[in-house]
Amino acid sequence: MGAEAILVFFIAGIVLVGGGALASKLLSPKSTNKDKWEPYESGMKTIGPTWVQFKVGYFLIAILFLIFDVETIFLVPWAVVMKKVGLVGFVEIVIFIVILGLGLLYAYKKGAFKWE
Amino acid sequence: MGAKIIFYLIAGLMILFSILSVSTTRVIRAAVYLLFVMILMAGFYFFVGYNFLAGVQLMVYSGGIAVLIVIAVLLVHNIDHRMERIPVVEYLWKGGVLLAGAILTILTINQFPFQRIAGTEDVSVSRIGTKLLSLGDGGYVLPFEVISILLLAVMVAAIIIAKGEVYKNEEK
Repeated sequence: MGAEAILVFFIAGIVLVGGGALASKLLSPKSTNKDKWEPYESGMKTIGPTWVQFKVGYFLIAILFLIFDVETIFLVPWAVVMKKVGLVGFVEIVIFIVILGLGLLYAYKKGAFKWE
Repeated sequence: MGAKIIFYLIAGLMILFSILSVSTTRVIRAAVYLLFVMILMAGFYFFVGYNFLAGVQLMVYSGGIAVLIVIAVLLVHNIDHRMERIPVVEYLWKGGVLLAGAILTILTINQFPFQRIAGTEDVSVSRIGTKLLSLGDGGYVLPFEVISILLLAVMVAAIIIAKGEVYKNEEK
């Protein structure tokens, strides 16, 4: 029962998204022009490569995000049984968060959140 | 029947995107195909009933690691660089070696008499939570707290590497 429902959902998703894309391709007015491939159709012609290297700061933010992402994942099982585990569980979670909070404090002190 | 179709659908898509990921000539596309593979892996976990693990897979792997990889790719100097296209002959032979390895692995795994163990089928989030925070027998509270220390170490290391403190000190 469940599997068939998922399958129907899957097919409906493909039909709805694919159908929309197909209808737009069939119905929309076409205009082929070399300028259509430019980043700015009505702007100046770009000279040389337009690629700019991203700042390393983004990577640091991504890593910090990942760490707190993992922390959140570990908070979910606790949140589900919060009332059941009571005070003991709460203390354990507080220890967990405080240790990670130290890391956040370190990041703040080192200026990881400053955008230079 | 429907379950089998879903299994082969997910497996087929995963194989397709894995092959696309290693055969594309653009780095950023390889990263995005890897993201698709990770999402489909979450689909597998949902399929076998590991809902929490599927959530972890979606949040940490496709939401975190894949974004990290994409950002790492965006940091490279010339993203327009195309990898060399691999000749078909090499595809065939690497594919053949991989297929032989896969067949060997499957045959070896099938030798093992797998048995369904009664009483371990409940993998609900509440059970995981209770076990994770339990101080008694079979509780995982110490590993749980150690994880936070591991994450702390990762965070400090990431900041030191990204901020380049070590190199600055050496220059002085």
